[in-house]
Amino acid sequence: MEHLTILENKSIFIIREAYYRFKDIAMLWSVGKDSTTLLWLCRKAFFGQIPFPVIHIDTTYKFPEMYRFRDEYAKKWGLNLIIGRNEGQVEAAMGPGKGSKLDCCNELKTNALKQTIGKYGFQALLLGIRRDEHGIRAKERVFSPRDENFKWDYENQPAELWDQYKSTAAEDNHFRVHPILHMTELDIWRYIKRENIPMSELYFSKEGKRYRSIGCAPCCSPIESNASSVDEIISELETSNTSERSGRAQDKEDAYTMQKLRSLGYM
Amino acid sequence: MNDTPKLLVIGLDGVPCTLITDYIEKGYLPNFKKILSGGFRLHQMDASIPDVSSTSWTSFMTGVNPGEHGIFGFMDLRPGSYKIYFPSSKDIQAPTIWDIIGGTVNNRNSALYGKYKTSINNRLRSIVLNIPQTYPAAPMNGILTAGFVCPDLKKGTYPEYVYNYLESIGYLPDVDAAKAAEDSDLFLKEVFSALEKRALAYDYFFDNEPWDLFIGVITETDRLHHFFFDAARDQGHKYHNLFISFYKRIDEIIGRLFTRFMEKTGGRGLFMTMSDHGFTVLRQEVYVNSLLRERGFLKINKQREYFEQIDTGTKAFCMDPARIYVNLEGRFPGGPVSLSGKKDVIKELKNLFASLEDSDGNVVIKSIYDNGEIYQGPSSDKGPDLVCLANDGYDLKGSLKKEHVFGKGQFTGMHTRYDAHCILPGNIEMGSRLHIENLAGIILNYFSKERTWNT
Repeated sequence: MEHLTILENKSIFIIREAYYRFKDIAMLWSVGKDSTTLLWLCRKAFFGQIPFPVIHIDTTYKFPEMYRFRDEYAKKWGLNLIIGRNEGQVEAAMGPGKGSKLDCCNELKTNALKQTIGKYGFQALLLGIRRDEHGIRAKERVFSPRDENFKWDYENQPAELWDQYKSTAAEDNHFRVHPILHMTELDIWRYIKRENIPMSELYFSKEGKRYRSIGCAPCCSPIESNASSVDEIISELETSNTSERSGRAQDKEDAYTMQKLRSLGYM
Repeated sequence: MNDTPKLLVIGLDGVPCTLITDYIEKGYLPNFKKILSGGFRLHQMDASIPDVSSTSWTSFMTGVNPGEHGIFGFMDLRPGSYKIYFPSSKDIQAPTIWDIIGGTVNNRNSALYGKYKTSINNRLRSIVLNIPQTYPAAPMNGILTAGFVCPDLKKGTYPEYVYNYLESIGYLPDVDAAKAAEDSDLFLKEVFSALEKRALAYDYFFDNEPWDLFIGVITETDRLHHFFFDAARDQGHKYHNLFISFYKRIDEIIGRLFTRFMEKTGGRGLFMTMSDHGFTVLRQEVYVNSLLRERGFLKINKQREYFEQIDTGTKAFCMDPARIYVNLEGRFPGGPVSLSGKKDVIKELKNLFASLEDSDGNVVIKSIYDNGEIYQGPSSDKGPDLVCLANDGYDLKGSLKKEHVFGKGQFTGMHTRYDAHCILPGNIEMGSRLHIENLAGIILNYFSKERTWNT
């Protein structure tokens, strides 16, 4: 079987298995390439009509192109779209300029998601994370239990040998399910090409720059690149060896450092 | 008994010489007393300028001044811009003591290295625990876990098996100082527990790893002091007893390490404790940028963030704690001060700082240093044009957000430059007053074939 078909089969199996195990399930859609690929796989798994809600956590700081893309395809694909926002903090004008970037992420992403899960009572969430994204994610499981504080106890998680997934854990708050954990960044782009999946225009080069990873506008920076089509991105990735999230990782360290210094009265 | 020389340094972040003296007199530090009565001497020592941990610890570990090692604070600006960055271990321009004795100097150079290059044994193994400004951990001959600021313990630790051990004991790279304001009891509990984890790790490496140089730093003292230094001598303070018991615990830890070190080396090893700066009670915070704004030296555009707020027409600004930069044409974007006009701006600034008084008429600034007076070396140009040191009680700050010149926040302690401490064997004669930059030389001299004194 072709490599991409093997990956696709595995993802679709996990998606269907998760839907079978959990009555109250939803998927998270950031509008980025990974979760849009996951969305595509969910549509394929259920013959075009996704039988569960799709959550978009809206920090209000996403790129305008992302909002346009979200609304266009939510309509086209008939999605049951839930928009999750930490309204209290949005009203209080939380942002990357107010407090630290870490506080901003915590309030507008993590707490917004906590509130959304609390409101709808989801037992499980499908997420488009991949093992090759970041060192720590290599430890992830396909079925990953979280406690009520969203804490991931990575030293104490069920083994997943020979694709035997464990999907019960009474004491935990909810499960994260990762159907594309086994795909690499390059697999994703090759799959996007094969399936002709629509992608946000931000990924394609304009005036020598493109975004390799997209999120909130103030915290993302584009990379130098002339890749303006899926084919060109694939050939760029085949020869590149810098980390996909290199821009974002430094941001996180800086945010941590800033918070630490501020707590000791500097800045 | 082992004949190869060994050296143990216990770093106590922010522990003042005067407080050690007081606490020994009061009987709180029996182990310190025992050590000092056994041929050791307590020195009052000068810290680096500015007396901030990142700069002072870098001066300790490289034995050179900031003009040579290149670290002037926790934060700096990218060349030709107002964009901030946080200098890391990668930005240190001079080799550290463990690089010099371990053969991992690579391409760096310094005056001190030049002096010992040929006489030093460079196959020595070091254990370096919790020194600020060592993140990320660079490969070296031995083991290292970085101190403040350490955003990622794994990247901050070398080699990886050491990280695995630290994780297994729940080692904390730092306490969460943000807790101090919200829940001081919880913060203090964390201060004690972080100290215990450090002591546990120090014992473990002391016993289970080969080493020639061992440096273990305790940073919880600095955290405790920032928030509760007012409790140090005030018997009526809610946390006075807790403060004393923290020091008693440190005394026990040091006493035990000292005894075991002397046993391990047959009494022949070199033992030293030191701090990167002193501490005193903070009466008022002084926001230097507010003063510069009030007097027309600084223009702010609040639409932007951090130092990018600096607007057209700014002649000078301040970065923590009191590093003053003249906004020189060509050095910073839109800098209006010409090279020929710089002298006048510096003169005006000096007059302004020298005449600064609080509402009771007390003089705030003790000394003002020119770059050329305090910095020598290839990185001097990166440094501030002026650095101010304040009289005790006035904590100089570089915040851009404050409305007034004077204020008071949650902090009750502030750094002092003149009151760092160092305990050294009495037979090491220093001649003049001890400076933190002298310590690396003492350590290298100890490992040198041409050692000039005996222990």
